[in-house]
Amino acid sequence: MAEPGLNQLLLEATLIELQPLRRTPAGVPVVGCSLGHRSKQVEAGGEREVTVELQALAIGEIANVLGLAAPGMTIRATGFLAAKSLRSRTPVLHLSNIEFLEGTENGFQAQVKVQEEG
Amino acid sequence: MSAATARIVRVALPVPIPQLFDYKAEDVIEEDVGRCVRVPFGRGEKSGLIVALPEGSEIDPSRLKSVLAIQREVSALPPDWLDLVRFAARYYHAPLGEMVAIALPPDLRRAKVVSSERMDPFLEASTSGREAVAATRRASRASRLVAELIESGPLRRSQARALPSARALADALRRGWIVPASERDALGQIGERPALTPAQARVIAQVEAAEGGFDCWLLQGVTGSGKTEVYLRLAEHRLGAGQQVLMLVPEIALTPQLESRVAGRFPGANVVSLHSGMAQGARSRGYVQALEGRADIVLGTRMAVFVPLPRLGLILVDEEHDASYKQQEGVRYSARDLAIWRARQRAVPIVLGSATPSLESWLNVRNERYRGLRLDERARAERLPVVRCIDTRRERLDEGLGQVLQAAIAERLERREQSLVFLNRRGYAPVLACAACGWVSRCPHCSANLVVHLADGRQRCHHCGCDGSLPRACPVCGNADIQPFGRGTQRIEARLAELFPNARVLRVDRDSARTPGQWQALLERISTGQADILIGTQMMAKGHDFPALTLVGVIGADAALHAADFRAPERLFQQLMQVGGRAGRAHLPGEVLIQTELPAHPLYQALSRHDFDGFAAAELAQRRTAGFPPYSHQAMLRADAPQLDDAREFLAHARRLALELASEGVRVYDPVPMRLTRLARRERAQLLVEADERGCLQEFLARWIDRLWQQRTSRDLRWQIDVDPLEV
Repeated sequence: MAEPGLNQLLLEATLIELQPLRRTPAGVPVVGCSLGHRSKQVEAGGEREVTVELQALAIGEIANVLGLAAPGMTIRATGFLAAKSLRSRTPVLHLSNIEFLEGTENGFQAQVKVQEEG
Repeated sequence: MSAATARIVRVALPVPIPQLFDYKAEDVIEEDVGRCVRVPFGRGEKSGLIVALPEGSEIDPSRLKSVLAIQREVSALPPDWLDLVRFAARYYHAPLGEMVAIALPPDLRRAKVVSSERMDPFLEASTSGREAVAATRRASRASRLVAELIESGPLRRSQARALPSARALADALRRGWIVPASERDALGQIGERPALTPAQARVIAQVEAAEGGFDCWLLQGVTGSGKTEVYLRLAEHRLGAGQQVLMLVPEIALTPQLESRVAGRFPGANVVSLHSGMAQGARSRGYVQALEGRADIVLGTRMAVFVPLPRLGLILVDEEHDASYKQQEGVRYSARDLAIWRARQRAVPIVLGSATPSLESWLNVRNERYRGLRLDERARAERLPVVRCIDTRRERLDEGLGQVLQAAIAERLERREQSLVFLNRRGYAPVLACAACGWVSRCPHCSANLVVHLADGRQRCHHCGCDGSLPRACPVCGNADIQPFGRGTQRIEARLAELFPNARVLRVDRDSARTPGQWQALLERISTGQADILIGTQMMAKGHDFPALTLVGVIGADAALHAADFRAPERLFQQLMQVGGRAGRAHLPGEVLIQTELPAHPLYQALSRHDFDGFAAAELAQRRTAGFPPYSHQAMLRADAPQLDDAREFLAHARRLALELASEGVRVYDPVPMRLTRLARRERAQLLVEADERGCLQEFLARWIDRLWQQRTSRDLRWQIDVDPLEV
């Protein structure tokens, strides 16, 4: 296994799509979802709008938590990035923590904080 | 020669040395040839068979040891049996002692006392019993039983126990009102027989019209054409003439069904079953009954070809193309081929039957070495099933199941008929893999993957039996999201259950039918309509009729078209034709759907026309061009060792010897690793030798194997010769 290195992502996002819960052959629960993020960020001295979509995966206990969610909900997601597979190097967010945020029916957050360090 | 003089006794012992062993014995007589003996061997004792009483020995008589005991309670094995075993040892180049060990049931070989007592005698009412029934005013239980038995005619004890007053059986036997029936009278009984179709009648007449003596017949009959009925009628004639019938079947799983059919037809005949699923005692008892001429019909798997039959009158080989007739370990004999030799030796007819004969047998009919018999129409169903290829190239399959097949299954559900999805791969998925790092679940002992068995949470090697729990995460990178790749019967079963939530889905493979009991229970559930969709492997393909089964869907068959073995298409055709034959029996027409990415392939095209002859002719044309069997004859020398190099080195040495000995016409190839190179921690390689003439090959093999026996090899290395190998 590679050396331990920094790999943490914190993101407020809306659940766009939620896949049904499946299990690995050993019985570990897995839920896949896609996350949509939209915010204003400062770049080159000016404010700008940002949108991004990201595949995310909840494996283990946390899959049961995510499994209770519904598309449209907004969450604060913590996790690390890993390539989708050997063939597709697209990053996938592997969730380690989920916080459900209230009052977010429209799925839009005015203030989003992106941490670079956990 | 006086009894007191010691004679030399030549004994075949089950040791891997091509040699017989001389002993001396005081009281030995000519009749002891063919009897089992206990002899001292090394520091211990061994059991063997007396094969000769030679006048002299190469060993100084004073150094000969004495036999410990001769088993005289059992009749000696007859000379024709010894000839058969000698021939088999010679043809398959095995030590005679090892061949004898294979041909005898273990108890007999160990010179144990084996009783041939009839366990289940026929019973009939005696004269006194009849008088008692006639005389009594108020019937006792015993007399009621006697009356019941008079009404039914002679019955086996087991059958008599099912009579209403059976509780008085012991009493009636003690009074002498019921006595064992004389066998010969009972033999005449014939159970209910269905009327013959004109084709069946014609075939039977053809065989019966032959002048007697040896004849090898190939009965080629489409599935459902009533081959079994032909066997039974032919057997009936022979039994009537006081002869014994040997009937070989490919699978243990098939014997109980056939056995009950045979026993039902010939209630008076002593039917002996022999297969490896039986207890040793029962096997030995059956063997001795046959040896002593008291068995009328011997029904068994390949081992039964060695049963001594003094009154042999007919040999029947069902599904003659089946690979299970070839022993795949130890001495690799072909029971079908030995059966033919035996029929010739005993000058009796032999009938090989199949819907899809082996190309060897089929060609022998064309060459007029065998005589052909045909049953081209089904006995009961109006038509053969319609076979259609479903092109899946442009379709996204749902766990292997295409839209057409799904719709066809749904249609059957609505009509309350059964469907079978045929996939010849058991387990949930053939491999477990990690998409993140590329790890796959390899067997630690074989060059094969561990198969996911989700039903019991295990991963297993289908080659060596290695078995472990499913890993929670990838053992290399730690990723928990490891996934099963590919499809086995369990996965299809799960998907079918999801797609058709109201249907009863039943999986039939070696995992769900591990014991004969489980297998019978599954068959029972299917035939009583307690299942709607079946998902099965080749277990489902053979010999069982399910009246309500009208759809067979074949998935994953294409892989066999890409296999390296030249016999793979032949086997695929046989398998698909057999499994397709399950569709539509009795009054319901059947349909077979084959999902394929090669719908135009000639094999599938021939299959959809039910054209075995066309397929066989095309396949043989290719074999002739390539010089493959049956246009050449092959033998395979295989070697295995912990390290592949050692196996290869031995074969390279064997090859050098072969080139020295080979006469013109013998082709010696290069040693190559076997396809499954590593098996159970041993690495394997093989060396093919070939000749156009069987005699030429045999003559070479005899000299070559003789030389190979003389070579010193490391203890870790094992080698064996496979004459007429089925897999190359």
